[in-house]
Amino acid sequence: MRISLTINGNPVSEDVDNRTLLADFIRNTLGLTGTHVGCDTSQCGCCVVHLNGEAIKSCTMLAVAANNSEITTIEGLSNSEDLSAMQESFRRNHALQCGYCTPGVIMSAVDLLKNNPKPTEEEVRDALEGNLCRCTGYHNIIKAILDVSKAG
Amino acid sequence: MVFDIKGKFNSKLISSIGKPLERKEDERLLRGEGLFSDDFNLEGQYYVTFVRSPYPHAKIKNIDKSDAEKSPGVIAIFTGEDCLADNLHPIPHSPVPSTKYDLKLTDPEGKDIFIGPQLLLPVDKVRHVGEAVVMVIAKTNFEAQDAAEKVYVDYHELDWTADINSSLKEDSPKVWDEIKDNICVDTIFGNPEKVDKVFNSSKYLFSKEFHIGRVTGVPLEPRSALASYDSTSKRYLLYAGSNGAVRHKFQISKTLNIDPGSLRIICHDVGGNFGTKNRVYVEFPLVLWASKKTDNPIKYTATRSESFLSDVQGRDLLTKVELSMDEDYKFTAFRASNVSNVGARVISLSPLGKGIALVTGPYDIPLASARARAVFTNTVPTNAYRSSGRPEVTFAMERLIEIAAKSLGIDPIKLRRINLINKDDMPYRNALGVTYDSGKYEDNMNKALALSDLDNLSIRKEDASQRGKFLGFGFSNYVESSVGNPKESVELRVDADGFISLIVGTQPTGQGHETSFAQVAADLLGLAPEEIKVVFSDTDIVKKGGGSHSGRSMRHAGTVICLAAEDLIDRGKKLCSLLFDQNYQSISFAREGSFTWSDKKISWFELAEAIEGVELSGDLHTGLNIERENEMHEPVFPNGCAACEVEIDKETFVPKLTKYIAIDDVGRAINPLIVDGQTHGSIATGVGQALFETFYLDKASGQPLTGSLMDYGIPRADQLPSFVTELNEVLSPTNPLGIKSAGEGATTPALAAVINAVVNALEEFDIEHIDMPATSFNIWRSVNNKNKESKS
Repeated sequence: MRISLTINGNPVSEDVDNRTLLADFIRNTLGLTGTHVGCDTSQCGCCVVHLNGEAIKSCTMLAVAANNSEITTIEGLSNSEDLSAMQESFRRNHALQCGYCTPGVIMSAVDLLKNNPKPTEEEVRDALEGNLCRCTGYHNIIKAILDVSKAG
Repeated sequence: MVFDIKGKFNSKLISSIGKPLERKEDERLLRGEGLFSDDFNLEGQYYVTFVRSPYPHAKIKNIDKSDAEKSPGVIAIFTGEDCLADNLHPIPHSPVPSTKYDLKLTDPEGKDIFIGPQLLLPVDKVRHVGEAVVMVIAKTNFEAQDAAEKVYVDYHELDWTADINSSLKEDSPKVWDEIKDNICVDTIFGNPEKVDKVFNSSKYLFSKEFHIGRVTGVPLEPRSALASYDSTSKRYLLYAGSNGAVRHKFQISKTLNIDPGSLRIICHDVGGNFGTKNRVYVEFPLVLWASKKTDNPIKYTATRSESFLSDVQGRDLLTKVELSMDEDYKFTAFRASNVSNVGARVISLSPLGKGIALVTGPYDIPLASARARAVFTNTVPTNAYRSSGRPEVTFAMERLIEIAAKSLGIDPIKLRRINLINKDDMPYRNALGVTYDSGKYEDNMNKALALSDLDNLSIRKEDASQRGKFLGFGFSNYVESSVGNPKESVELRVDADGFISLIVGTQPTGQGHETSFAQVAADLLGLAPEEIKVVFSDTDIVKKGGGSHSGRSMRHAGTVICLAAEDLIDRGKKLCSLLFDQNYQSISFAREGSFTWSDKKISWFELAEAIEGVELSGDLHTGLNIERENEMHEPVFPNGCAACEVEIDKETFVPKLTKYIAIDDVGRAINPLIVDGQTHGSIATGVGQALFETFYLDKASGQPLTGSLMDYGIPRADQLPSFVTELNEVLSPTNPLGIKSAGEGATTPALAAVINAVVNALEEFDIEHIDMPATSFNIWRSVNNKNKESKS
């Protein structure tokens, strides 16, 4: 089936196999490899992108279901030489190590602050329940998100 | 130069080392521009799916691939017989640690250990669920998966053994017919007779058996491999993530029976390791071999389920420990009997060996003996997993101390204090002959206790009780060891474009080498870290190197960078002397990275420009390009402690970690920001095993029941607190920068500290011990059994 959508502000139109997952479409068809796949069961959150302004796990949606949607991936978070506030805070607070879960975590974090600009630490931890990180123990991730919230 | 004339480090002269600099690698990772293995694709690549064993143990009677071969898109299907026909060799695993200081493990006869050869695909039988049996190659991933469903493997199921006790039994099913039972290692260390004597006449003797269960690393990036073969240049290319592409290059070449020079491995960003990606997996040589056979690039990326079934795993040690004390509660002797479950093949004996060397922990115990055994089982092989072997023995010692203190009616902290090794006794040789380099163990403990607010513990317990929770406090000391591959190499190259390239053999998997190595080189060469480009990741550029494991990278790389920097400065002086016709002695190297003589001054980069086009001969022919190798066997002993609090819900028995304090002596912290991050992750690894993680096999069928992240619990953000971490840097005398290791230390006491807290929380039930993971079910069961006991 042919699908058309907007990704990071750019319109695309591609033929896809009906069983292709949105995550694979983003990675393999569009070549945007910042979105990662870490599990088969919608647990790890490495594949989180924004679909029509909302954070979703792109491994749990078929590409065809995203027809006519507007998607933002990690590559679209900052269109300039400067990092976005969330990316910058992650760097400042050393909130990433291997960097594999990072794009998904950041997309979830941006979504969290959009809906709840001043969360408590507990609310941040609850909101990140669907993003697994094996390197950081979450300590600096939480700190980085709270920092953005305080500054905003 | 940050070293004075006698080669002593002058910390007044450092400017980058010790600073919490932000990481150079972050920008690309934050923008989604990292280069992980599966991010690479080659034009027209085929895809592989593996048919894996559904049984723990079975004979392969026949493989019928006729239906699968007719499946759409199928290119080729290969089995173990095809590998044998092409003379592919088993993977040359080297499970016995290679430094002079590692305790030497042997087989029961004192001879070389039978490791159970790992053919790329088996021909006789399968030895664990998930073992790859048939390789199916097709044009698309979907077609490969569809075709794999149509391969019919006729198995004859055999009796199997999965746990240590069953493998030790004389009538156990045998994993390998080549040896008489499943015991592949049996070695005794220390002095058993003397220990017996002391035990027989001791005032107090305590003993306990513990099983530190099987867990798996779960790096979030599943392993992946993309291979191609160029028939013109006769060279192979592999994109595959690991902890060190150089070692992989040599091992894979042996497997394929090819010249190592004909294989290039590219390994950029690696999405976590923790030991899981240390070893060569069969898929790596197989895709290379098949890409030559099919004359086409081939790609394999593991699913998470495949990772659970076939990633090497961690821990799985059965340990019986015995400790005697005199009337003053001074430890007098210790005995350990440790059995490691190595799985179906011996991939690494590091967990067993490193653990045995440290069974007496940070305590001054004059006598000890230890028996080290390893057994084969029908499970995935175990390998070093974050702090290989040390959390296991620390768990046994620190749990035993708590049990002993309770039985004696004394404060467990006091019992530890009586027996800790005194800082004035450093370096300290333990009863098994292992020498701890340095450390201030009691200071660690004092620091942690000062942060623990124990004076108000009873108030917090009372408050928690009002909220419907049992609150417990737990503590654990630790000493661990960092050894690892003794060789490391580096190349320093001054480029006229304003950078010095630091080409290093070891490979990061998230530890920030691009930043911390640059900090070291920058200080030594009088530059800023931004002027140092750390290069790894391509075996056509990086020719030698040991890889990241056993907390070795910063220490080994730091040391060899010191040596190479000294050489490079010497070379710079010689070149100045030659080019500007000056006496060598009259040239000095200034801290700000330039060479000076009389009123002249030239920077590294001006010198690089000046020698461009100049024909250099003899010793100087490589110009401003220095290669240096170093071999360093001496281990270091990071140490510290952890204190924590756990609250257990009185209704549901769900435990929650509410407070965690870690004190770690990592030696010199090159970048404290990175070190703190390593400590946080390291804590989570240990807490994960204590509270959530177990790789569980069904007792009746031997089938893994934890095959996905739906049923294997790695810690989530809402299950952990923020941590309190502090360093207690005691410089190691074994290397010029005084580095020990970060990254594995904090895992080491975490298992014991958390379980000590869980047991303490349940003090009213008088429970002696709870096995890991202390899930709500395990806690409820212990309490319930205790209640039944007291009623009967």
